[in-house]
Amino acid sequence: MNQPPHQPALKQIAARAAVALSLLSATAAPLQAQTLSRNIIVLDPAHGGTDTGARLTDKLAEKDFTLSFEQRLRPLLTAAGFTVVSTRDADPSSTLTNDQRAGTANHVHALACLLLHATPSGSGVHISTSTLTPSNSSDSVPWNAAQSPYLYLSLRLANELGVGLLHANIPPLLAHTTVHPIDNLTCPAIALEVAPLTSSGNTTPITDTTYQQRVAQAITTALISWRNHAAPPSKPAIPKPPAPPAATPAQPAAPTSPAGAPR
Amino acid sequence: MIPRYQRILFYTLAGCIALMTLFLLRGCQQAHKRLAAVDNAAPIAAPTNTATEDTTLYLASDADATITPTNRQLALPQEPTTRARTLLDHLFAEYAIPTSSHPLQPGSAVDDVFLLPLPNATPDAAAPQLAVVNLRSTFVANHPSGIEVEELTIQSIIGTLHAAFPQLTQIRFLVDGQPHDTLAGHADLQRIYPAIDTTFKPAPLILTQEAPAK
Repeated sequence: MNQPPHQPALKQIAARAAVALSLLSATAAPLQAQTLSRNIIVLDPAHGGTDTGARLTDKLAEKDFTLSFEQRLRPLLTAAGFTVVSTRDADPSSTLTNDQRAGTANHVHALACLLLHATPSGSGVHISTSTLTPSNSSDSVPWNAAQSPYLYLSLRLANELGVGLLHANIPPLLAHTTVHPIDNLTCPAIALEVAPLTSSGNTTPITDTTYQQRVAQAITTALISWRNHAAPPSKPAIPKPPAPPAATPAQPAAPTSPAGAPR
Repeated sequence: MIPRYQRILFYTLAGCIALMTLFLLRGCQQAHKRLAAVDNAAPIAAPTNTATEDTTLYLASDADATITPTNRQLALPQEPTTRARTLLDHLFAEYAIPTSSHPLQPGSAVDDVFLLPLPNATPDAAAPQLAVVNLRSTFVANHPSGIEVEELTIQSIIGTLHAAFPQLTQIRFLVDGQPHDTLAGHADLQRIYPAIDTTFKPAPLILTQEAPAK
């Protein structure tokens, strides 16, 4: 009855290698970040209303933590020149549906969509991307697989954030998730789950504001880096030297801005 | 001089008290026998020898978010649905150990596992099947909440079932016989999961990009 796990494991390794290769070759991605608004970040503080999420401490619910963390992250991102769109700014009386959250995020064509979560288990920050298979086509994508064409960008964003957290001495953990509404987002999307920080036997609780500030600062730095790597600013138009005087009548000036310049 | 009717009443009441005392003593003896019978561990049916077999459990670890195939010698029944449920009981018994790398509350997690042939499948043993795992609501209510910890539980179940039942192609979850949104607020229980090898190790970071400015 038992099946040796080597063959599927080999297949999975091959699939991962393919994804890693495609990560390195940005040109292979079907969708480029230049099609997105390079200054807009969507923050989705998860849960809210009657949905309290995890119980982080006796007095702190996940929905309250995610909202306060969003309010900690927002000014840092704004100071870095980002426009922040949030799916909720307060604790709503009724729970927001996943479709409402995805709708808010999808309307702005954000450079990154971050689903903010928290957990009392594990260590560091867990960065998760969708479990969908990356797609090469953005035509006729069903709602439940809307993330599929953006998955290459999401994987690159997850890597960028992981590197940023690593530089801030916060251990990142890259994984996959089925959490809602990540599969419905039409932007580079990741779920960020903040966990207590365990290092050399000491545990920093999730309620430590200094730790929260470090995480928020690392995310901001990583998103600045992501903007520079994934959607660099438009190159200034190179002025053409003035045409030498000629005997023939003057021709109309050529356009100076390159066509299709990235936003 | 005590009237005669009072003496008759006294002796009648005394007789009733004696009868009630005997009745209570008898009741106590019977109750004691009943309770003693429950604790009696004497075997009733002859024990059967079930050979242990090499079984692969896909064990999760919260610390590094890995799923690792691990071999165990387990005695499992042959009937497929009972076998699947027993297998998952063994899996969750591993997680109920306090030193487990993915600690979950002890207790029965799975009510039933149903193995159903997929529509349009040929009715032979190797035909693709759907497994419906019916979780107990007490297990779901006590499961730790978090993206990573919930995904690991789901992937651990999927990997373990896939290894033991290669004909499985799809797995879905119910809670107390009803569809349920999430395991504990995060992992999706509404979708049908593909039955695959869920061995997982987080992908290493690709450090080809320049270090972000501090």
